[in-house]
Amino acid sequence: MCGCGQQCWGWGNCAASPMLLLSLLLSTAPFALRGEDTRQVSLEVIPGWPDTPQNLLHVRAVGTNSTLHYVWGTLGPPAVVLVATNTPHSTLSVNWSHLLSPEPDGGLMVLPKDSIQFSSALIFTRLLEFDSTNVSDTAAKAPGKPYPPYSLAKFSWNNITDSLDPTTLTATFQGHPMNDATRAFVNGSLAFRVQAFSRSSRPAQSPRLLHTADTCQLEVTLVGASPRGNRSLFGLEVATLGRGPDCPLVQEQHSIDDEYAPAVFQLDQLLWGSLPTGFVQWRPVAYSQQQRGRESALPGHASPLHPTLAYSLPQSPIVRAFFGPQNNFCAFNVTFGTSTGPGYWDQHYLSWSMLVGVGSPPADALSPLVLGIMAVALGAPGLILLGGGLFLLLRHKRPLEYESIN
Amino acid sequence: MEEEDEEARALLAGGAARDGRDSPAAPRPLPALCDPGRLAHRIVVLLLMCFLGFGGYFCYDNPAALQTQIKRDMRVNTTKFMLLYAWYSWPNVVLCFFGGFLIDRVFGKRWGTIIFSCFVCIGQVVFALGGIFNAFWLMEFGRFVFGIGGESLAVAQNTYAVSWFKGKELNLVFGLQLSMARIGSTVNMNLMGWLYSKMEASLGSAGPTTLGVTLMIGGITCILSLICALVLAYLDQRAERILHKEQGKTGEVIKLTDVKDFSLPLWLIFVICVCYYVAVFPFIGLGNIVYVISAPMSPVFGLLVDKTGKNVIWVLCAVVTTLVSHMMLAFTMWNPWIAMCLLGLSYSLLACALWPMVAFVVPEHQLGTAYGFMQSIQNLGLAIISIVAGMILDTRGYLFLEVFFIACVSLSLLSVVLLYLVDRAQGGNLNYSAKQREEMKLSHTE
Repeated sequence: MCGCGQQCWGWGNCAASPMLLLSLLLSTAPFALRGEDTRQVSLEVIPGWPDTPQNLLHVRAVGTNSTLHYVWGTLGPPAVVLVATNTPHSTLSVNWSHLLSPEPDGGLMVLPKDSIQFSSALIFTRLLEFDSTNVSDTAAKAPGKPYPPYSLAKFSWNNITDSLDPTTLTATFQGHPMNDATRAFVNGSLAFRVQAFSRSSRPAQSPRLLHTADTCQLEVTLVGASPRGNRSLFGLEVATLGRGPDCPLVQEQHSIDDEYAPAVFQLDQLLWGSLPTGFVQWRPVAYSQQQRGRESALPGHASPLHPTLAYSLPQSPIVRAFFGPQNNFCAFNVTFGTSTGPGYWDQHYLSWSMLVGVGSPPADALSPLVLGIMAVALGAPGLILLGGGLFLLLRHKRPLEYESIN
Repeated sequence: MEEEDEEARALLAGGAARDGRDSPAAPRPLPALCDPGRLAHRIVVLLLMCFLGFGGYFCYDNPAALQTQIKRDMRVNTTKFMLLYAWYSWPNVVLCFFGGFLIDRVFGKRWGTIIFSCFVCIGQVVFALGGIFNAFWLMEFGRFVFGIGGESLAVAQNTYAVSWFKGKELNLVFGLQLSMARIGSTVNMNLMGWLYSKMEASLGSAGPTTLGVTLMIGGITCILSLICALVLAYLDQRAERILHKEQGKTGEVIKLTDVKDFSLPLWLIFVICVCYYVAVFPFIGLGNIVYVISAPMSPVFGLLVDKTGKNVIWVLCAVVTTLVSHMMLAFTMWNPWIAMCLLGLSYSLLACALWPMVAFVVPEHQLGTAYGFMQSIQNLGLAIISIVAGMILDTRGYLFLEVFFIACVSLSLLSVVLLYLVDRAQGGNLNYSAKQREEMKLSHTE
């Protein structure tokens, strides 16, 4: 049963209270976190030193009262620093010599500093691979025996200037291991496609995450890499800065609505604090074919966040440059697929999408088409019955109007 | 007519021995079991009618029971395997209408039943031979021949039921026929796999021959059905002779163009049937629970509808219950078993209350055609829905598919409401209670 303890939405009497709470929270929230309907978005590749690959992207989404800065980079492992300020005039300053030095603290700054309302970071540290043979479907969450993971800090990345598209506001980071001893990535690559948005809408392709002007979408795609077994399941290790003693929770929102991603009834969310705050949102599904459909859907599973010490993770100079030396990270794994059914082995393709943003996370609702059909389906028979019943009643009444002669 | 003669004779002869209305021409009353007017004999006929259909329902689902074996022995994939069902369904979109027409116009229900039972037997034998000769095309052809007989045999069964049980226990009979269908399928599912393994043990190896022999043994049920058809034909002919049923016949013969003269209530019944089965059929195949519930509950509901009458109200209840269960599946996260149980119950109720209604709005000489047409469009609906449901599921997901089913059930509900109103407005007898029907029957014979 859908109780208010589990986060459900859509039909059910739980829908009212979180929305009320949200609007109350939003009215008292700082400007940067209130969310804006449209923003002016600009993407710029921050030029580095001439003969190094350009792989630092700054996405600046300016609203009327706030600015969101997303700094995406693959110096070290792919990472994003997310900053929300309460002025439309904040800027990013990058000091390359600091950034490329062994102690990058202060290499990345958003000015003016006192306008920063929220900041956090996500680091994609490792590409995981598991051997899922001899694992039954109903076994607990273990995906199988792990192979040695690929550290994403040891990948070499392309020059993103070529892939930057200002009309669709996208850029793609494409990489492969620097030292590919097993030659697994000879014909393959791992791509991180970043897309920013200036207004709310929903993409046409699954998983059709609803995005707003306050979010950025990241699509992680593994193409062509040779797996190390016949039934390899892939996953990603994602780390974030811990705020306070405990790690944030990944919330699973169950719903009856799978209109936008057929057969996926769950939306996962990572909130960095209490609402409104920065968030990461994704559907626990990855697709094993380019035409994303139900037959190629791999169920995803996210492990809970566990505190990790800095030295056990590949370090990101970008995160250190903005936040200084940090020691408390929280990491979790997302893995995709099961030992039977569709998998990476079908076409050597795996794609997973997620949203990162600030403010209140977008929520799915029943589409107007569904509501319309239900209204007609339930209303029409009732109306006809009522109308017909009345008509029959009136018809039977008329003979009584005749007075008997005798 | 005969009663007037009888009275006249009795008056003239001064009260000669009254044999009741059973056999004015026979010198003494027959024992209850042999007397076509009595309940005991009708029960015998009912048993024969049930087993008439048993062979067809048993063999219809043979492919499903032996799916892995067929796919392995004949070396086909799932898509080719599903052709065994497609070759049954798609031709029947058209065939059972013509089957019904032939029953009305050419063969009559006795010869029609025998001929279609033969088709069922031959079809199953050819299907089994396809296994023995390791020719999948022969199996497909066998299923096609089986299909010609199978669905039209169902039409003949319905016509028989109306002929013997109209005005008496018709709803119960339809309920029992539905039970036999479920029992036949269930027995098939439990038996055929075991039979195959026994054959494999005795013949020494798996393979197309083992498959063919197993199917041939399964075909014995079709022979049983053929025997029932022959006995039923004899008993029906005898009853007609004893009860002088020909005197009730109007001598009208159906023409193909009579179809456009079907009354509005009949067309509404067709719409109810198609829209309802489209929304329920995918679940009948899916959940065992619907089978398990409908097998015992169908006769119970049939008896209930017989005793109370008011078929339209029962159909309305069934459709509303189905709507509720679909809404449960779509919009709540409750245990789906609850919804499936409700679905099983409402499906049983609908089958008992809806199919006999055709007998009330169609004259006897058009009955085969009407039932044939109803089966035809039902088959068409089911064939289309299997394609449409897959498309909807892939593009829009389960919720939208459920909403689509709700829309279908709602259309069915709309038709039931319209049927009630049209019937009331026309002063028809579809929604008479059992008591009213008795009174009507008595007033007709006075």
